[in-house]
Amino acid sequence: MTTGVTSASSKGLTTDIAPLLEVRNLVVEFPTRRGTLRALDDVSFTIAPGEVLGVVGESGAGKSLTGASIIGLLEPPGRIAGGQILLNGQRIDHLDAHRMRRIRGKEIGAIFQDPLTSLNPLYTVGRQLTETIQTHLDLSASQARTRAIELLASTGIPAPQARIDHYPHQFSGGMRQRVVIALALAAQPKLIVADEPTTALDVSIQAQIIALLKTLCREQGTAVMLVTHDMGVIAETADRVAVMYAGRVAEIGPVAEVIHRPRHPYTVGLMGSIPAVGANKERLAQIDGAMPRLGAIPAGCAFNPRCPMAFDECRSQRPNLMQAGASMAACWLHEDNLSQEPSA
Amino acid sequence: MSLIDRFGEQLDRGRAETTATATATTTSPAQAQAQAQASAPATPAPLVVVEDIAKVFDVSAPWLNRVLEGKPRSLLRAVDGVSFEIPQGQTLALVGESGCGKSTVARMLVGLYPTSRGRVLYKGTDISQLSTGSGRAMRSQLQMIFQDPYASLNPRWKVLDIIAEPIRVHRLIQGQAAITERVEALLGQVGLAAADAQKYPHQFSGGQRQRLSIARALASQPQFLVCDEPTSALDVSVQAQVLNLMREIQQRESLTYLFISHNLAVVHHVSDHVGVMYLGRIVELAPKRTLFAMPRHPYTRMLLDAIPDMQMTGKSRTPVAGEVPNPLNPPPGCTFHPRCPHANDRCKSERPVLMRLADGAQVACHAIEEGRA
Repeated sequence: MTTGVTSASSKGLTTDIAPLLEVRNLVVEFPTRRGTLRALDDVSFTIAPGEVLGVVGESGAGKSLTGASIIGLLEPPGRIAGGQILLNGQRIDHLDAHRMRRIRGKEIGAIFQDPLTSLNPLYTVGRQLTETIQTHLDLSASQARTRAIELLASTGIPAPQARIDHYPHQFSGGMRQRVVIALALAAQPKLIVADEPTTALDVSIQAQIIALLKTLCREQGTAVMLVTHDMGVIAETADRVAVMYAGRVAEIGPVAEVIHRPRHPYTVGLMGSIPAVGANKERLAQIDGAMPRLGAIPAGCAFNPRCPMAFDECRSQRPNLMQAGASMAACWLHEDNLSQEPSA
Repeated sequence: MSLIDRFGEQLDRGRAETTATATATTTSPAQAQAQAQASAPATPAPLVVVEDIAKVFDVSAPWLNRVLEGKPRSLLRAVDGVSFEIPQGQTLALVGESGCGKSTVARMLVGLYPTSRGRVLYKGTDISQLSTGSGRAMRSQLQMIFQDPYASLNPRWKVLDIIAEPIRVHRLIQGQAAITERVEALLGQVGLAAADAQKYPHQFSGGQRQRLSIARALASQPQFLVCDEPTSALDVSVQAQVLNLMREIQQRESLTYLFISHNLAVVHHVSDHVGVMYLGRIVELAPKRTLFAMPRHPYTRMLLDAIPDMQMTGKSRTPVAGEVPNPLNPPPGCTFHPRCPHANDRCKSERPVLMRLADGAQVACHAIEEGRA
């Protein structure tokens, strides 16, 4: 969130400050009857303290799986088959359920897409908040309640003293998502994994929630991993952005770079396909075809069958992230910094 | 549904209609006609004219509970006096947040809901009250594309049967060979292969399924397509494919679209005219350029401000205070007044009607009328 972080992260992949979260060569696999599916393949990135990293991609690109792996909520049979996840330099990817529970909520908060399913319908929001607070902080019941009221007030819920004893169904969608944010921030975690926090909300409410998330995280110095498919939300919230495609990071870099000077042909296509108010285009740029299924990822670069710039190397060898301007892109066009700009 | 419920519903419908007409202060049919005549010279003859339609849903507790617990009858005015017209070959987009009644308008237009009040004129004929039988011929010219391509295709039917269904229902082509040929041609039109006719819906991706929905809608050679959020379940790159396809087909077949969406950027891309809905009413109706260049109604301005801007990275949009009120108990006067920065006493008591401005835009707002905003 601070400008210092943004300028320090000019290399895109890493920041000069010791990272809060480091994901190294993460591999997630799903064993199935027809063989093992590799859902995440060699995903690496870092998040600095107080930084907002946006993760975008189409459905099935692996962005939510990345978030789930970090908070230790990978659904079986999915499993981490390789790589490491480090929080403050400590590995958290191989912790048992009990130890992970203490990290989740205390060190890493989570916000999910649907605020109705992330709250327990049978308990008042106050009870859910005080439970979370007392699990992670050493506070008495009345102190926890005071803290819960403060949290609700800070998320902009009117009349928090009265609302604290209401049940989730008595809140509207936007208000519920505020409660979920209050829950995520309850133990003042250093990192929040927000998985599509605004997708289920209307545009006017979406703007309120994004503004709230930004303000609260800036005040508390919380870093955010913001998973979304909405490039607009990324544009106004994130410091850096990682673009995912078929389980890999296709491009990662400062948000202005990725949006205005995309380096990977997939990012170029993705940016061109977003309709914008103000642009008078007869046709939107479209990427033909669809993202490959996990079982049928082509050899070489996963994007090569849809790529207008593909050449022989792309069909046989898988590119790793390489320097491309101020960003990093997994694309052979940027080998030895050929500086061939892919055009829209 | 039990017999008692059904009887109750009929009663309610009658009562709802009387209350609805009694409280109606929005554009009357006469006004709508006057407006239609006023705009006639500028645009081609309208293919679809909607006059003051309304839809009232009865959401009361069951009869027994009402009697025992003394609960009142509650009526939900999902759509309350909406009028517009769509010229041949053009696209009218309706935008608004969830619950504003835009999908209900779409469903009334194609006859999936009967109207509680008002008329829907297609080529001058009122189609809102046609029975299933007599409306059939007319309905082959009106087709609908639904939001969720996973729910709108029968998973147990082959693509061939899904697309051939409107052809068979309307008896447009006789003979299996001829029907297969037509289905294959339709698949070609939407960018799929003829061999796909033998597959099932689950074998297709979301974007391909929406292409199938489009092919099915085109099967009866309609002139008017109602598209209810056709791309909101799709990823952006696939959305671009579907929007491009819909535009190509519109130009080739000179189709008329009613396009429902909550995404203003998509609306900007596809539409000729835009209607902004709030709590069951149109608050602003204007040509696309006018609406986006000069939004009048405070709600329209709010919606436009709420669009995330890709260009001004780092700058935040203006969040708007408040939420959509409960449609069961809408505020009196202008329903937007609790969220409106320009609201005064008049807005809290008197419901504004759509008025036409010099540049063709229509706005329902006292503040605009009085020059306060």
